[in-house]
Amino acid sequence: MILLLIALFTAISGKPLDGVFMLVVATGLAWDAARRARSRPPAPAGGDPAVPAPAAQAAAAEARAAEAAAARAPAARGRPRRPLLIVTGLAVGALYAALVGSFARYSWPATAAVLGLGAIVLAVGWRESRRWRPVPGKLPMPGAMLWGGLLVAGGLWELAALLQQPSLTVASYTHPTISSLTDPLLGTHAGRSLALATWLALGWFLVER
Amino acid sequence: MISRYVTIFGYVLVLLAGVVVELLATRNQAQIPSLGQVLTRVMRTRTGRVGVLVAWVWLGLHFFAR
Repeated sequence: MILLLIALFTAISGKPLDGVFMLVVATGLAWDAARRARSRPPAPAGGDPAVPAPAAQAAAAEARAAEAAAARAPAARGRPRRPLLIVTGLAVGALYAALVGSFARYSWPATAAVLGLGAIVLAVGWRESRRWRPVPGKLPMPGAMLWGGLLVAGGLWELAALLQQPSLTVASYTHPTISSLTDPLLGTHAGRSLALATWLALGWFLVER
Repeated sequence: MISRYVTIFGYVLVLLAGVVVELLATRNQAQIPSLGQVLTRVMRTRTGRVGVLVAWVWLGLHFFAR
């Protein structure tokens, strides 16, 4: 639902491709959730104690997933660091940033490069986490709320600036959005390459979660 | 002119607050998870993982794509 709302608002603010992308992902997630719900056995009608309840089945499935992750753990820990792979990744990333940074913003080559890489990363991330990592237990609620609060505060501040523009597609000098503040940086080849390298590093960080 | 500086100051304040919270998270006594721990937890489910990755793709599309 959140993705559908983002798709709608992105499309009407003059970025139809972003909207279509969000719509495709939202549809994929809904389809996936429906498929998994169908494959789940129906709940017992008469409360037969021999048949496990859906909650118990979900807990069992989660336990099986945890066991599978734990089984993969020794292999992951024992694997050498593969520095060659890391160096290759860094070199390819630098080349990507330099090449795509040479394209003008909002051009079709830049669009294809960003969309293509994003689709690949999403397809990989859709299946499972790329590598095993111990999942932290229940996070302390005040601390987690602090991060959530910061995210919401930043989003609302940006939204306030956006709504004070003359229109959604015309920037305001007195109430700049982050996009308009980064325009001078992204107007140069070096600036675009730097921003793309940062974006790639963030993507790497996320894929490693 | 002052409005412009106030707006920019708001972004800087949120960014600095994030840095402070991350630094606090490195101290064992503080009951604050690091950003990495929060993301690992959120990305444990498929919906969370895809949601976070979509946000990352959206950043790229927003700044560079048509």
